[in-house]
Amino acid sequence: MANTRSLSNATALRDENVLRRVRHLGSARDGLREWRVQRRTALALIPLGLYFVASMLRLTTSDQATAAAWLASPVPALLTILFVLALLAHAVVGMRSVLVDYVHTRARLVAAELLVRGAAVVLGGASVLAVLKLFLGR
Amino acid sequence: MERPLSPFMFPNWYRFQITSVLSILHRLTGIALAVGSILLAWWLVAVAAGGEWFAATHAFLASPIGVLLLFGWSVAFFYHLCSGIRHLAWDAGYGFEIRDAYRSGYAVLAATVVLTLLAWLYVLLA
Repeated sequence: MANTRSLSNATALRDENVLRRVRHLGSARDGLREWRVQRRTALALIPLGLYFVASMLRLTTSDQATAAAWLASPVPALLTILFVLALLAHAVVGMRSVLVDYVHTRARLVAAELLVRGAAVVLGGASVLAVLKLFLGR
Repeated sequence: MERPLSPFMFPNWYRFQITSVLSILHRLTGIALAVGSILLAWWLVAVAAGGEWFAATHAFLASPIGVLLLFGWSVAFFYHLCSGIRHLAWDAGYGFEIRDAYRSGYAVLAATVVLTLLAWLYVLLA
C-alpha cells in the first residue's frame, strides 16, 4: 500500500488517491453535476419556454384581471412555476460558468456567485409565492 | 513570429468567424435572459399584487424603453433557444463537421429572425 502510494506520487497514475487529487485540482469539483443540471434544465426549458412565451404573447394587450385569471388556473400555474424554477437553475449554472472564466480573484468569485445564487433564490421565491397566491386565492 | 494570438479585445486584424460569434452571442443572450428573469419575477408579483403595482408595471412595459427591452429579450430568447438546441445536438454527438457547424449556425440565425418576426407580428395584429 505504501509502495503504491509513493509510486503514484511519482507517476500520478492508477492509484486510489489520484481521483481524490484530481477532484481537488478540478475547477469546480462538481462539474459533472452542473453539466447535467444545465442539460436537463435546457431540455425542460424548450417546451416550458415556448409555452410561457406563447402565453405571454397572448396576454400582451390584456389587463390585470385576465392575467390573474390565467395564472390562477392549474395548468398555467404549474407550468409557470416549473418554467421559473428551471430558468433560474439554468441561469445559475450558466452565470457561474461565465464568472469562473472572467473573475480571477477567489474572494470576488465567491461574492459574485453568492450574489447570483441569492438573487435566484429571492426571484424564485417571489415568483412561486405570487403564482401560489393567485392559484390558492381564486 | 507568426504565432496564433488570442482574439481577446478583438484587434482590428482579427477576422471573425460565424462559429465564434455565435458562441459569444450564446453567452451574451444567456446573461441577458438571466437579467430578464428579474422582470419576469417582477411581472408575476405585479399580477399577484394588482392595483397600482400592476398599472405601473404595465405602463413601464408599454413605454418605448419597455417595448425595446421586451423586443431585445424576445430576440435573446429565440436565439438562445435555437442555439441551445444546436448545443444539445453537439452534446449528443451530431454536427461536428465544420460544414455542418456553419450550416447549423446560419440555420440558428434564420430561425431566430423568423421566430422573432412571427412573435411580433402576432402581437401587432392581436
